[in-house]
Amino acid sequence: MNEEALLARASEERERIFQRYERGRENLVGQIDPWEDPEFEEYHKTDRYGFIHDERLPQKTGVQKVNIEVEREKKWVKMLNNWDLQTTKEKLHRRIYKGIPNSLRIKVWCKLMEVNRIKSANPGKFQEMLKLAKLWSTDVRQIDSDVNRQFREHQFYRERYSEKQCSLFNVLCAYSMYNSEVGYCQGMSGLAGVLLMYMDEEDAFWALAVLLSDKKYAMHGLYIEGFPKLTRFLEHHDKILTKFMPKLKHHFDKFGLDAILYSLKWFFVCFVERVPFSLCLRVWDIYLLDGERVVTAMAYTILKLHKKAIMKLNDMDLIVNYIQVKLHKDFGFEDDIVIYHLERSMEELKRAKLDYPGPPPPNELPKRQLGTFVEPDKKSKIGQRAENFSETEKQARATVILRREKAAMELQELRVSQSDTVSEHSGVAGGIRCDDSVSALGSRRSLADTSVTSTADLSVFSSGRSHAPDNSLDTHSNVSDDATGSDGSGICGLSIQRAPSTTHSTPRATPHPPSVSPMSDDVVRIHVTYNPLAASPSHLHPISPSKYKAYNNEEHHKPVSLGFYTSNGATNLHSDNRIRIQVPSEELLTPVVDSGRIITPRFIESHSEIYDLK
Amino acid sequence: MATNRSGAAQRPNGAPQTKVCQFKLVLLGESAVGKSSLVLRFVKGQFHEYQESTIGAAFLTQTVCLDDTTVKFEIWDTAGQERYHSLAPMYYRGAQAAIVVYDITNQDTFGRAKNWVKELQRQASPSIVIALAGNKSDLAAKRMVEFEEAQAYADENGLLFMETSAKTAMNVNDIFLAIANKLPKSEGGGAGAMGARRLGDAEQPRSSSCCK
Repeated sequence: MNEEALLARASEERERIFQRYERGRENLVGQIDPWEDPEFEEYHKTDRYGFIHDERLPQKTGVQKVNIEVEREKKWVKMLNNWDLQTTKEKLHRRIYKGIPNSLRIKVWCKLMEVNRIKSANPGKFQEMLKLAKLWSTDVRQIDSDVNRQFREHQFYRERYSEKQCSLFNVLCAYSMYNSEVGYCQGMSGLAGVLLMYMDEEDAFWALAVLLSDKKYAMHGLYIEGFPKLTRFLEHHDKILTKFMPKLKHHFDKFGLDAILYSLKWFFVCFVERVPFSLCLRVWDIYLLDGERVVTAMAYTILKLHKKAIMKLNDMDLIVNYIQVKLHKDFGFEDDIVIYHLERSMEELKRAKLDYPGPPPPNELPKRQLGTFVEPDKKSKIGQRAENFSETEKQARATVILRREKAAMELQELRVSQSDTVSEHSGVAGGIRCDDSVSALGSRRSLADTSVTSTADLSVFSSGRSHAPDNSLDTHSNVSDDATGSDGSGICGLSIQRAPSTTHSTPRATPHPPSVSPMSDDVVRIHVTYNPLAASPSHLHPISPSKYKAYNNEEHHKPVSLGFYTSNGATNLHSDNRIRIQVPSEELLTPVVDSGRIITPRFIESHSEIYDLK
Repeated sequence: MATNRSGAAQRPNGAPQTKVCQFKLVLLGESAVGKSSLVLRFVKGQFHEYQESTIGAAFLTQTVCLDDTTVKFEIWDTAGQERYHSLAPMYYRGAQAAIVVYDITNQDTFGRAKNWVKELQRQASPSIVIALAGNKSDLAAKRMVEFEEAQAYADENGLLFMETSAKTAMNVNDIFLAIANKLPKSEGGGAGAMGARRLGDAEQPRSSSCCK
């Protein structure tokens, strides 16, 4: 098809989808496929929030609870009438942490987000955006397919093209025009879906706009290309784990479980479909009051409350399932208890100055003026995918990969330091403290030192042509072999030390010994993912079971030739403080990351590059 | 548990043992073609009309038994929206198998599937086993992609191909089984040798070394 035909087709598709939502359910009789719209028995299965359950609800909300809520409602009504008074501000915190009565949630949420203010400041904007979307939005197909599966177990969204489904479609389409940098990103249907359970279409649109662009919530940075805010918050999350729950962090690392795998929805949609809905609402209440800090603290709280259970799970699959599915079905703690712990966590994190990852940097904020029309380019009109990743995307990718590398490295150092401690202090109880805060702190320190000394850490990743078992990304792949702790962390590291007596070019032969203080040495550590193309010939042939065993037991520790080499060698390195990296093929031109400056991944531009190690 | 590694060696009693292999498999394809539904059907035997959209990626495992081998799949189910595409390489890195899924009622998703195949051929391990799944075969009345067209494409590119339905379970187990069958026997043993991993004895007390 030529370009014009493609454009015409895309435009027809957009109009067709739009029309169905405009006509709505009543006018689509006989036109909704049965598979789109199964009938469900709703009788006695709908909970108080409108969710329909597979089975009879276990119990009704206790009479006592209802009474408490009725009492609270009275107080809240009074407070809502005196919203701007100082006394309200004083009571607000305490009362919101107790939970907003469900019947008043809509009002309180609108107040907290100042929906009316932004709405009255932009009269007609929502309708204007919706009209533009009908003509231009390139996200219509994706929105349509997500509306078709968002909260379908909720009575509002149950029926295809129901009123609320249409509202959800409209809000998301209008927003895709209002904020052209974000457009529509999967996840936003969850946010808008919750808002629409309580608000009408236009209010929900503005509430969504507040969540994304108000600096208290700043979710814009989560949804734009490359997900910069996600990266930043995940790093912060890791920091919190390392400090407060190093054992758990170690447990995750052991299975190669990056936080991105279990916590994405925590950050993206503020726990929607990750904790029971009643608890989710309580967290939203607090989130709307206190902003971003709440997400960080809640993430910490969930893991804190379930640490013991998670530590018993020895499989990535089980851990992820527990955190994502089990906790959604049954959190195992009463909502009030969780909120109590959430508040404690917030205090705890504040004392440790870890409550807030800091205000959003410019790259996480909207650059274009919101609500101004930007005509989409031809490619996105046709729905054509980009051929290559943008720089931002490459960076995002490299950052995630690097985080895994770093975790694996920490794990390795931890293991080495543990075995060191064992040999040095064998029999001394303090030597192998089970309270791993000690050893983990050690490993963290050594990494931190790395960044302040002249040590250069260059990580070179081969471009996806790497495999287990030495694939550093694939850290979990070694774990089942290696649950107990020899160095299966999956790093193929080349360690070149400048001290003349210790010039090894042997990957892994001598893992960087933590006993040697990085403060005093200049250490170049290059971590290279295993590259089968450059491997010694024996690796190119099938490995028989016996060889595989040998591989596992011995070669694991032996040098393998790497996807790059240092042509100057260690001696030269010693004399001129430079390292030259030569990459044998173009296919390996992938990120070089200086983890002294973790956030700024670089890419090898040519086959040969020289780095100054000053 | 120092016995872990040595436990992988042949057991002295020579009792018949099932070999256990572990493979990393990734699902790729356009949004809403049914990637998560295929996995759910395969792993849990369930089907949800409205599978929640996958944000980022999901991870599940399932084990299948062949004649003399037990294959454990580590399944990485990825998000279909393009914005999440930049995260995909971290999931398919090191994968020994991939299922590229399209929706037989939507021609565009087939085009997109071809792009994924291209990307895998370019970026993933050269010995990766790729299967093409034309999903939603229960909606044959709304078919837009002909079976023959997809079959011809798969043949040209050396892909396994089946039309599947996560809803009716048609060919779902079959496609995973076909992959499992092809994996250890893959030519040159590239994937098998590098990829298949023996399970730790902690997990599978009776397992022996890798199938290769």
